[in-house]
Amino acid sequence: MELILAKAAFAFYAAAMALAFLYLFYKNDAWSLWMLRLMGVGVLLQSASFGFRLHSFWLIPENRYFLPINSFFGALAYLSLAVAAVFYFVEGRHRLGILGAFVLPWPVIGLGSALIWADPKTSGLVPALQSYWINIHPMVLMTSYAAFGNAFGVGLALLVQEHQIKSRKPSELCYRLPSIEELDDLNYHIIAAAWPVLTVGIIMGGVWAYNAWGRFWGWDPKETWALITALIYAGYLHMRYVGRLRGKKAIYVSMVGFASVVFTFLGVNFLSGLHAYLSGGA
Amino acid sequence: MNLLLAGLNHKTAPLPLRERLAVLDPGKTLHRLRSEGFSEGVLIATCNRFELYALAPKNSGRGAEDLAGFLEREAGSPIGSAAYRMENGDAVRHLFEVASGLDSLVVGETDILGQVKDSYALAKEAGMTGKVSNVLFQRSIFVGKRVRTETAISVGPTSVASVAVDLASRIFGNLSDCAVLILGAGSMAQTLARTLRSRSAKEIAVANRNGERGRELASECAGKAVPWEEFPKALAIADIVIASTSSPTPIVDSETVGRAMKSRMGRSLFLIDIAMPRNVDEGVHGLDHVYLYRMEDLETIVAESLKNREGELQRASRIVHEKASEFSRWLDSVMEGREISLTHSEHGEIS
Repeated sequence: MELILAKAAFAFYAAAMALAFLYLFYKNDAWSLWMLRLMGVGVLLQSASFGFRLHSFWLIPENRYFLPINSFFGALAYLSLAVAAVFYFVEGRHRLGILGAFVLPWPVIGLGSALIWADPKTSGLVPALQSYWINIHPMVLMTSYAAFGNAFGVGLALLVQEHQIKSRKPSELCYRLPSIEELDDLNYHIIAAAWPVLTVGIIMGGVWAYNAWGRFWGWDPKETWALITALIYAGYLHMRYVGRLRGKKAIYVSMVGFASVVFTFLGVNFLSGLHAYLSGGA
Repeated sequence: MNLLLAGLNHKTAPLPLRERLAVLDPGKTLHRLRSEGFSEGVLIATCNRFELYALAPKNSGRGAEDLAGFLEREAGSPIGSAAYRMENGDAVRHLFEVASGLDSLVVGETDILGQVKDSYALAKEAGMTGKVSNVLFQRSIFVGKRVRTETAISVGPTSVASVAVDLASRIFGNLSDCAVLILGAGSMAQTLARTLRSRSAKEIAVANRNGERGRELASECAGKAVPWEEFPKALAIADIVIASTSSPTPIVDSETVGRAMKSRMGRSLFLIDIAMPRNVDEGVHGLDHVYLYRMEDLETIVAESLKNREGELQRASRIVHEKASEFSRWLDSVMEGREISLTHSEHGEIS
């Protein structure tokens, strides 16, 4: 049941993404409205799927009342749910329509690759993970990842808009995208809100590590890359806030930050020892 | 009852004739129309058209030609082929085309819809409307709106000034945070400044070689004059720069702009060069966060958007024809005393 619901959610996300791409090129507000509705259904379906996962996860006694993100499937599924829900919330309030095409590929890719490559079966938590921190530390971090994913979409939209105006032959798209300065501000505000969340998440990891292993920081690849990510975004915020540097260059830095997020989340699983708890990966 | 139309527009009548009619008081014209025995009447008078819609009893033997005669007496001079005369179905279709902007100088323009509304309101106030003209004009406004929402006939900028404003808002968003700098004092720069002012641009500064003329323009658009020598400094503060001096060589080069950009901290700069020969060196466009549009760029965008509107004409006419023949059927049914109903759904047979 969990998988059927997740597949259905995937289908709805993919259809919503297709509508978002159509909306890029043809002005028809009905498409943007249907995109939002499909996303809403997708989020509901995936939440239900998550509920089923929770149920089967809690059937294993030692897992009781911990969240099922100890596997690659669980983490990816939660992450795409978070991106989709954040987008649904932002889009429902601001009705920008146009940003769908830049953000929706993420939940589609996330949930899609979970369904294709990751093993969905649930397993018991190893003793080290049987801590209330598992309900907090990864969730906080992944919420910040979801926000960074949205910011990346906004940055992409900014580069497209910049190119449109520089070309001197703006197409319909140019009049539909928000302005360069607005996108620049939005990118900044999302990252400014997500960065403290990331930082707090990393510190929480340190506290948990101290409780579990008796040390705060161990230069494990996951820890190191999370720190690098936080430093890149700190650099971006510094450029924006102190150096008052805006536009393309700042966007490139924030995109490098997002690449680092993706690497921390995916790539490090193949390097990390202590964080290799994510089982059933690619 | 017969629905009659006699009118003229920018395509059929020369300007002097249109001007003679434009000065008439619409209320008085409608009053005279009634005293000539027409039962209902609405007058659409704009700078581009003068059209009389009237109803005459069938047995009165009056046709559109008689209404044209009335128009001629109003104009005080022969109108001959400058006026078109239409009856019933043709008149309905024409009114729907007018309300939809299909008959306008700029295809799809939206002012005309408001003018049709006002004309109808004025006739109603003068007690010159009845069942047929009430439904006819409300219907024309409905069709005018529908054509604009279902086709792209009113989409896209139609003037250089509106393109400039559109682009500025795609760069900066809200123009109320934008400072405008005008180099020179040409009439086109004035128009642009006024358009930007009407879109609530924050402040307008004018730098002109001839300080006197610069101060004049500045006071005309509620801005401030800047000494000519200081314009490079003003570039650091301005967001939108309009260059329209008569200088034979470029006055804004990439070095000057590059220096100004250093203190702008990456905030975009939008330059509009409407001077001939050009005022701004092309190299400026190559700088980061700087967008230089020349007159011909803006004109190309306008031409493109007008072409797109023309491309929608066919779809728009189809809606107009459909709605006009539906209305004509209603008109016939009313005249025969067995009234049918009109559809009001937004998603009718044409979607």
